[in-house]
Parts: sequence; structure tokens; C-alpha cells
Amino acid sequence: MKNRSIFLPVVTGLGFLFLYAPIASLIVFSFNESKLVTVWGGFSTKWYGELLRDPQILGAAWISLKIAFLSATLAIIIGTVAAFALSRFPKFRTKSLLNWMITAPLVMPDVIIGLSLLLMFVAMQGLIGWPAGRGMTTIIIAHATFGAAYAAVVIQSRLVDMDMSIEEVALDLGAKPMRVFFDITLPVIAPALVSGWLLAFTLSLDDLVIASFVSGPGSSTLPMVIFSKVRLGVSPDVNALATIIILIISVGIIAAAIQISRSGKKLGN
Amino acid sequence: MKYLFAISTVAIAAAGAVTAQDQVVNIYNWSDYIADDTIEKFQEQTGITVVYDVYDSNEVLEAKMLTGSSGYDVVVPTGSFLQRQIGAGAYQPLDRAALPNLVNMDPDLMAAAAAYDAENEHATIYMWGTTGIGYNIGAVAERLGEDYEVDSWALIFDPEIAAKLADCGITMLDAPTEMLPAAMNYLGLDPQSIEPADLEAGAELLTQVRPHIRYYNSSQYINDLANGDICVSVGWSGDVFQAQARASEVDAGVEIGYVIPNEGALQWFDMLAIPVDAPNADNAHQFINFIMDAQITADITNYVWYANANLASMPLVDEEITSDPGIFPTEAAKENLWSSPVYNARTDRLITRLWTTVKTGQ
Repeated sequence: MKNRSIFLPVVTGLGFLFLYAPIASLIVFSFNESKLVTVWGGFSTKWYGELLRDPQILGAAWISLKIAFLSATLAIIIGTVAAFALSRFPKFRTKSLLNWMITAPLVMPDVIIGLSLLLMFVAMQGLIGWPAGRGMTTIIIAHATFGAAYAAVVIQSRLVDMDMSIEEVALDLGAKPMRVFFDITLPVIAPALVSGWLLAFTLSLDDLVIASFVSGPGSSTLPMVIFSKVRLGVSPDVNALATIIILIISVGIIAAAIQISRSGKKLGN
Repeated sequence: MKYLFAISTVAIAAAGAVTAQDQVVNIYNWSDYIADDTIEKFQEQTGITVVYDVYDSNEVLEAKMLTGSSGYDVVVPTGSFLQRQIGAGAYQPLDRAALPNLVNMDPDLMAAAAAYDAENEHATIYMWGTTGIGYNIGAVAERLGEDYEVDSWALIFDPEIAAKLADCGITMLDAPTEMLPAAMNYLGLDPQSIEPADLEAGAELLTQVRPHIRYYNSSQYINDLANGDICVSVGWSGDVFQAQARASEVDAGVEIGYVIPNEGALQWFDMLAIPVDAPNADNAHQFINFIMDAQITADITNYVWYANANLASMPLVDEEITSDPGIFPTEAAKENLWSSPVYNARTDRLITRLWTTVKTGQ
């Protein structure tokens, strides 16, 4: 037993080191004076200033955030509807097939999703004239497509766990099904909605492959811009931007965690 | 939830409407390949809004061009890629009447670029360069002696010399249509030959020096050269100059040189072209004409350190750049430059196979 008490903290420490060492080095190097990534040239915040003067990267970051926000929202709406249908309706014949199909985008390679969406957009433009050309709209639709699959899985697991009797009580007391959904079901699955939304948001912010397929003029996302700069070596202002993003995401996740634990307590779980 | 849906619907519609303005031109260019005030000046002069996106490989551009309806009005493919895309019908012929600045262009270089685009019908030269040797001056002198003059492909293709440099690192581009002709050129064969025997001889030489090559990569060498992690690279002129600039910026004692070998080197062209389905073809012509303005081209060359093909701009280009034989080769060196030949599908397959053999050593 004594061995275990040393072993566990060490393994945990190594695990966290493995996860966080790259992020820590990125943050450290964002304060590097030198332009070469591998050479330490002293402490400096000049890349943060440089970043503020780089409209290309800032513009791309703004586009990425807009796309991530809208596509995550869209994904949550589609995902909730899908999850609700799959977990609440009595067993229908194609249910297991549908269940399987909704998870397909999770395991499908990005290249295939990107290419098939591109072909669909091109065909749709030829047939009905919409979407006219490719740009932010097509990226949002593409990201919502795979984001919805992730969201549906997360929300479905929460819906299955949920105590159905509270819905039945509301129905017995005369509430309309719509009212029950918005007043009872939604608050109960809210934590799943939040984590599903954050998941879809992160996936959208992260995606390079699908966005490169379906992007058009003026819609280069942040990963696309960074990737196109890699050929000449990543400039340190990208490190500065990444540090800021990590900061924002950390704050977001902590806020969400607090929110989830609070609402969990309120519902007595 | 209802509100969220309404908001996102409106926002998506708004996002679509942004692209529907009238006076726009959508440019798709290589990253870090234009002066920082060019776009601004064009917008001021014409009132046309520029949407400027970048890519980092010909393959990315090719995927967009061959799918069609990319939405871009001006793109900048490299010669050999341009040729293939023209073959696929991806570009529209230029309207010469809308391009009065064409008179500024160097007729010799335009004639050389016509190898990729017959009679320069679809494209004009943006920038051009060579595929030569970038090297760490100090590290090479240390291993080969102070007197050794780096001026030949022998630095890489002579197994004895390559063996001496192997410990500090030799790299090649991962591009068979650049490396095979260079090897053939060193052997005294015609670098433009598409004869299987010649190509196989080139591959044979590449295989011989393979044990001394650290890696085959077309971008990693820029940083590695600048950091002093490798000492000899077959590379694109502008990339090597980037490494040079970066090394001197850091000032860690690494000095990079670029040389066009005496035997000759590949000359490549990045070309301005207009996709066949460009939504704003008129504005695209205006933009291309604007780029061919002597002062504008000179500004770009002064900024990116690539040679242009604009005779009228020469007096406006910094002396430091025009006098650099690595950027603007001497007349004698120009004689030995070659451009990529047209490879048919069968030769293409042979080249791919030979290159795989070289890289894997099997």
C-alpha cells in the first residue's frame, strides 16, 4: 500500500505534464524576444503589440470566433431535436439505424466530410443558386453538421439518464408538451447543452481540413491563416494569440464548470 | 432556444450578404508575398475593395481551381501548375486591351514563361526565381576549407563532398520535378529531357548521395538553415533569402549564402491568372494591371526579395537587390537557366516511381 501512495501522484503528475507541458512552453515562448521559435532571446511582450498590428491574424481570429459561435448554436439546436427524437419516441423500426447514423460523422475522416460538403455546395449552387459561392455561410453549415453529431451524443446521454417522472407529473398537472419541454426538460438537460455547445464551439475553432474545403474569398479561418504561415516558420505573434485564446477558454470552462455544479445542486442531483 | 435560432438565422443571412457588394476583387496569393502597402494603394486608387486570402502550396490552390467556382478573381499559380490547370480549362484568356502595363514586362522572361502558357495568353509573370543551393557559409568553410568556392552542384551531387557535409546536414526539396533535372544537369545531360534513360540516370545519382541527405522537405529547411541546424539545402531562392534575413536578424553567428550553380538551375515563374469563372473579371484585370505598374512591382520586390519581370521597375528596385546575382542572375548565369518541361502522364508516373525509389532507397 505504501508503494501505491507514491506511485499514484507520480503517474498523475507525469500525465498532467504530458498534457500541459506543450501549452506551458507555448505560453513561455509567447514572451520570447527572439523571432526564432527555438532560441530564447529574453523576456518581452513585443509580440502582443505586434499581434495588435496584424490585421490578417486578428481578422481571421474574429471570423473563426463568429463561425464557432454560430455553428455551435446551430449544432445545439439540431442536436437537441435529434437527441430528443432518438431517446423519447417509442422504439421504431429504423431507430437503431438512425442511432448509428447520427454518430457516423464522429468517425468519418474530415477529408471525406469536407469533400462531400464541397461537392454538395457546388451542386446546390448549380441547382437552386444557394449558397451563392462559398464563404462564412458554408463553413458555418459544415461545422454545424459535424458539431450537431457530437452535441446529439452528449445530450442524448443526459436525456436517457433523466428522471421521466417529473415530466409526467407536469403533464398530469395539465401542462402542454411544449411547456413541459421548455420548463422541465430543457433546464434539466441544460448542463449537457452547455457542454455540447462548448464541444461544438471548440471543434469548430479547431477545424482546418473541412474549412479549407468549403471556404471562399474573405473567409479564411484562424487555423487556415496560421497553417499558411507555417511554411516560413510560425511567427511568435501566433504564440501570443494562442496564449490569449487559452486564457479565454480557461475562463469559459471554469465559468461553465461553476454553473454546472450550481445547477446540479439546485436540482438535488 | 427560439431566440437563438432567430439570431443565428439572421446572422447567417448577414454573413452571406457581405460578399454581395459590387466593387470587389478577391485575391488568392501565396502567404507573405506582397508589399505591406500594395493592397491599400490599390483600394485608394480604384475604390475597389480587396478581399485578400493566402495559401502556402500549389496543391491547395489547384484543389480550389479544379473544383471550380472558387470565387477568386486573381490567383498566383507556379508555371508548371498553371500549365496543367490551363489544360483543364481553369483560366480565362487575358484581355490585353485592359492591361496597358504589359509593355513594362521583360520580353525575354515572358518568352521563357510562355513555355507554360503558349503566347502568354492566360497569365503574366508576378515574380520569378531559381532553385539553387542555400548554405551555411561558416559551416561549409569549416568542413571543406576556406578556399572552397561554392559554385557547383558538386556540393551535393559529388558523393565525396556530400559525405564531408553529411554530419552538419544536407537537405533536398521533396519535389522530383526539381531534383531529377538538377541531377541530370550535373551529369551533363539535358535537364529538360523526358527520356526515361536520362531520368533514370538522374535518379541513380540521387540514390548514390542519399545516405548523406538528412531529409527531403520543401519548407522545413528555411528555419533549419536560419537556426544553423543544417548546412546545405537545395531550395527556392526566395525561401533561402528568408532564412538569410532571419539568421541575420537573430545574429547568432549563422550566415547564409545562396548560389545558382555554374551548371545551371531551374527557373520558375509565379504567374498572375484569372479563373474562368471569376465573378469580377474586370476588377481582376485592373488589379493585374496595377501590379504591373513599375513603382508597385518595385515596391513588392523591395519587400519580398524576389525578382520581378518588369523592365520599367528596375531603376526603382534597391541596388542591393538588383546587384545580387542570387536574385537577378548575371547574363552568363541566365544562359544556363532552364524551365520545367511538359511531362506527359507516362513520364509523370515514371518520375513519381523513381522519386519513391530514391527516397526509400529500395
